[in-house]
Amino acid sequence: MRKPFSMKTRHYLEGYAFTLPWLIGFLLFMAVPLGKSLYYAFQSLEVKTEGLKATYVGLENFRRAFTVDVDFTPKLIETVASLLIQVPLILIFAMFSALLLNRNFRGRMLFRGIFFLPVIIASGSVLTKLREDGAATLPIFAQYDLATRLTDIIPVQILLPLLKALDSLTVSMWDSGVQILIFLAGLQSISVQLYEAAKVDGATPWESFWKITFPMITPMILVNTLFSIVNSFTKPGNGVMEYMQTVVFQNLQFGYGSALGWIYFIIAFAVIGLVLTLFRNSLKGRG
Amino acid sequence: MQVSDKPAGARLQRLELSRKRALTMAPAVKRQSRTFFSVLFHYVMLYSLSFVFLYPMLYLISKSLMQSSDLTDAAVQWIPKELSFDNFQYAYIDLKYMGAFVNSVVTSLVPAIIQIFSCAVIGYGFARYRFPGYSIMLGLVLFTFLVPPQTIIVPLYMFFSDLNWINTYFPFIVPPVLGHGLRGALFVLIFLQFFRGLPHQLEEAARIDGAGAFRTFWSVMLPLARSAMLVVFLFSLVWHWNDLFQPNLFTMLSDKFNLMQNLAVMDGQGEQEMQQGLGTLTVNMVGLAPTFANRVMAGSLITILPMLLLYLFTQRYFVESVERAGLAGD
Repeated sequence: MRKPFSMKTRHYLEGYAFTLPWLIGFLLFMAVPLGKSLYYAFQSLEVKTEGLKATYVGLENFRRAFTVDVDFTPKLIETVASLLIQVPLILIFAMFSALLLNRNFRGRMLFRGIFFLPVIIASGSVLTKLREDGAATLPIFAQYDLATRLTDIIPVQILLPLLKALDSLTVSMWDSGVQILIFLAGLQSISVQLYEAAKVDGATPWESFWKITFPMITPMILVNTLFSIVNSFTKPGNGVMEYMQTVVFQNLQFGYGSALGWIYFIIAFAVIGLVLTLFRNSLKGRG
Repeated sequence: MQVSDKPAGARLQRLELSRKRALTMAPAVKRQSRTFFSVLFHYVMLYSLSFVFLYPMLYLISKSLMQSSDLTDAAVQWIPKELSFDNFQYAYIDLKYMGAFVNSVVTSLVPAIIQIFSCAVIGYGFARYRFPGYSIMLGLVLFTFLVPPQTIIVPLYMFFSDLNWINTYFPFIVPPVLGHGLRGALFVLIFLQFFRGLPHQLEEAARIDGAGAFRTFWSVMLPLARSAMLVVFLFSLVWHWNDLFQPNLFTMLSDKFNLMQNLAVMDGQGEQEMQQGLGTLTVNMVGLAPTFANRVMAGSLITILPMLLLYLFTQRYFVESVERAGLAGD
């Protein structure tokens, strides 16, 4: 019998044995690259035959991103704006779909299968191709000349953004497969007895949604919000992401590319931090 | 919920049934009409949303069967005048399908399988052990999930290029081994949630029987995690398959390109051909020009076909597994 360690130490050691591989990976593939990219962000890197030559330029790269570079700022604003529009849309839509699918009805499995289909199709180059071909918008608006007819009733200044939002609706819906599943799993975990008790007490479906369903799936809303934000920041076809790749691999401006990466990272974190504070307050308010 | 084999459970179920019946049968006509409309609304919503979800699929199929003349024919909406499979043949050649398919499989199936096991081990460690530095490490997992991969592309590319890993499969295989790679942190969190939900008694029994920590994990806990494993496997496989960012970063040679990369390139050629062949287009004819959209759509279809087939066979278990895997968190 070997018993060189106390129970507690052994527990610790076993815990480390399971999780240490991740930590090593974190150092290799996340911490070191992240530190290096922060270092590069303050350098101007030149590709020479003997390797990279770094010269310290201070905040020059960051200044350039916002003042000199005419491409970056609009792309960044566009990305953040589309995120602010799309994430709430995705959440509402995913919740609605999950509620629809959660009821007992014939063909439930089939519909679930269909609702999750976009996860397979609507990403990568396929989505890009569909979008280029105009398939990412529903044809009703373009087909029956609806847009031009509507201009008679609604002024163009309001109509165009509205139509644009409607167009992006399709893409938001295709983006919500995972979120629907998460909500669905959350809804399944709510006990039926709660609803029955509420029904006996005379609650309307509307009331039981707001008093039971909604509070019970608040954690899932948080999970889904975070997932949607991260997804939106990293999804293909995102202007900033494509631009960064061009800067780095076509223009070979490694220092500038790193600075852009860090700006993007800070903004992503600011958005996530904002969401977390909002959620913490609302969770506290509910007690 | 599986209690029906016990007499007490059966009685409970019967009780529940009679209660349900009492609730649904008693109400007056007014409520019945309300249920009718709510059911109608339910199905209308389901069918219309299903159309939105199926729309890209139908679009791909319809367009990929069309000939160029159908694309420009205003009378043709969905059903092509003449069936032809030329587009698939063209796309098959243009995508260099067999080679690219092999590349796609290696850069998605292999990492997906590795991620199942490595993330399960790590998730288990986080679910069952408390050690000094635990909260910091868990915080780092969350942090990793939130960092946009774009932030570290430059150093990561240089790191892999220093190791001479560019244009090899290593960048796709080594990070997953350590629980990283594409969305590795998310998969760790999924396993963490799942293992937290399992009772401690299972391990205690195994421990008393003399199994070590890893044996307990491997032969008692992991087999129970089948639903979480399926979820992680399918997500990982599909996301790797559809990913363009990593392959574009780590592969520069066109014979190493996977299907998604070749598909991304494909359209450029069609456009070039169009410009060369139809150099005399006027502006208002642009919308009528054959853009080889049919070929591109055929290419898109055969690119995602393996995933569609896989989904077709596993979809049932998959949706059930997501519910069982406790993806929703605590």
